[in-house]
Amino acid sequence: MTTIETPPTQPGTVPDRGPARRLRLRDVAVVDWVAIVVVAFLVLAVVAPGLLTPYDPLRPDSNAILQAPSSAHPFGTDYLGRDLLSRVVYGTVRTMVGSAIAVVIGLGIGTVLGLVAAYFGGIVDAVISRVVDVLLSIPGLLLSMVIVVALGFGAINAAIAVGVSSVAVFTRLMRSETLTVTALPFVEASHHLGGTRRQVLIRHVFPNSYTAVLSLTALQFGLAILWISSLSFLGYGAPPPQPEWGLLVAEGREYVVSAPWLVVVPGLAITVSVLAISRVSQFVRERVLP
Amino acid sequence: MTRRSFVLRRIAQSLLVIYLSYTLVFAVLFVLPGNPIKDKITNPLNPLPEAVVKPLLEYYDLDLPLWQQYLVTLKRTVTGDLGYSLVNGRPVTEVLAQGLSETLVLASIALAFSVLLALGISLTAVFFPVAAVRNAVRVLPAVFLSTPSFLVGFALLVVFSFRLGWVSSIRDEGFVSYVLPALTLAIAVNAPISQVLIQGLSKAKGEPFVTVLKAKGVPAFTIAGRHILKNGSIPALTLTALTVGDLLAGATIVETVFNRTGIGLITEQAVREQDTPVVMAIVVLVSTLFVVINLVTDLLYPVIDPRITLAARRSPRQRRGSLSRRGRRQVVAG
Repeated sequence: MTTIETPPTQPGTVPDRGPARRLRLRDVAVVDWVAIVVVAFLVLAVVAPGLLTPYDPLRPDSNAILQAPSSAHPFGTDYLGRDLLSRVVYGTVRTMVGSAIAVVIGLGIGTVLGLVAAYFGGIVDAVISRVVDVLLSIPGLLLSMVIVVALGFGAINAAIAVGVSSVAVFTRLMRSETLTVTALPFVEASHHLGGTRRQVLIRHVFPNSYTAVLSLTALQFGLAILWISSLSFLGYGAPPPQPEWGLLVAEGREYVVSAPWLVVVPGLAITVSVLAISRVSQFVRERVLP
Repeated sequence: MTRRSFVLRRIAQSLLVIYLSYTLVFAVLFVLPGNPIKDKITNPLNPLPEAVVKPLLEYYDLDLPLWQQYLVTLKRTVTGDLGYSLVNGRPVTEVLAQGLSETLVLASIALAFSVLLALGISLTAVFFPVAAVRNAVRVLPAVFLSTPSFLVGFALLVVFSFRLGWVSSIRDEGFVSYVLPALTLAIAVNAPISQVLIQGLSKAKGEPFVTVLKAKGVPAFTIAGRHILKNGSIPALTLTALTVGDLLAGATIVETVFNRTGIGLITEQAVREQDTPVVMAIVVLVSTLFVVINLVTDLLYPVIDPRITLAARRSPRQRRGSLSRRGRRQVVAG
């Protein structure tokens, strides 16, 4: 089950989005600018990590072991003298790609199941709905741990596990959105204009019910970052010495008293990215695509 | 639908969900390629002692087809026999009993903390006289939601145990030792409750009855505490019941950080060592607790809010559009 609730749309109403306005740069709030800059850095760290840091994330340096943050190493170094900034920057790829895989799995399977349940109704709907109920009665993190037991450890397996665990949330929302839109008058009208059920579903119902599911995607992406780093913190994700945010925290925990930056920096990297990503997605939803 | 049949139907539904969650976990663990129990017992790289292997092989009937293994273990689970750990051959019930009370105490304290935190945050965010403070506090739930609990845990541990020396990180000091882990867990799970409570309070604050109370000269404090809080907290109550599962799952991280021997740490070890029977038992336990607590909350609604009746009639369209959780919301609304 998820910690984020999306309010269901009431049947019979189309969400009022207000008159469309052009987005002006000076109307963008400072918080949004900060979030946009953070996301830009995340993208840069994924695409070209070498631009952000001169050090190799895996190369130890026996002359610089457990150094506090300084101008040479802005985030300090770890117990092998590896530069923490480089490890955090190079770790971005693993966390982000893992979360993206997880969300694609959840979104893909959830959308199909939700549409199928709402479209076929009856026994199919009952079966899918019961499975969703069951999946929601097991906490997401625990469910992904069960799947990790079945699949084995590793970055990809952790991502798949998190993805499968989020299928239920997507299915539930897609199903209820599809049912809501199906009840609207314009759908009845397109039936009367001669559209077959399948045509109407794919051409009219699906596009109109998809926006709510897309906004859930952004929230789930943030959640996936948290879950994947939790799994790798526990040691089920990417194996060392690869840098991954949760793993960096786990490696740093032995030195949490003498070198707290080893835990704080990767931990804050997670918090800041999740906050920035959800802020930017909210901004895009409300201002860019109103 | 009468009240009694509603109650009976909800109980039957809950039992079905528990049974299905058992089946689902069995399917995930066993139907996927490979048989973890067999692999584990007969792993050539990590041989178990002969004395442990033989009874385990006999107990799990590994020569039977999968569906018979399913029936055998299901029958035993129903009778309270959860099988044996693949790591040390001890009964799973014994392994779980060891950590259950510890985790239940931790989760209860954490639940109390998160309700207090949610009340504090939402009351400040809605009623505090200075707008800047209200807006600052409003951001807190989002920050809590975005912070991994291991970061919160280590931060609390470093500040209060190592720097200030208020709580020992090793010795068991009774209730005091629970404060930091429970606070960590509470920060992790309280955010959605706070968010819903802020929404509920803001909505109730604008209702006409508040204006009436003001006009009658009721003090603002009484209005907030006695009227707005009561009216605005029903959805938050539902959500509080739903966080029980998250509390138990979150205990995995928190108990690892604080090194406390509870269900969470047992889960962490069982997953690491792929101790399938223990993992299965934990999932069934957590999902049972979750379902039971939600059932009790559902049945308690009329006690909390007399306007709610359990046997609310639903129109056919609504019924078609309801999964159980949505359905509950409609019953509440009705």
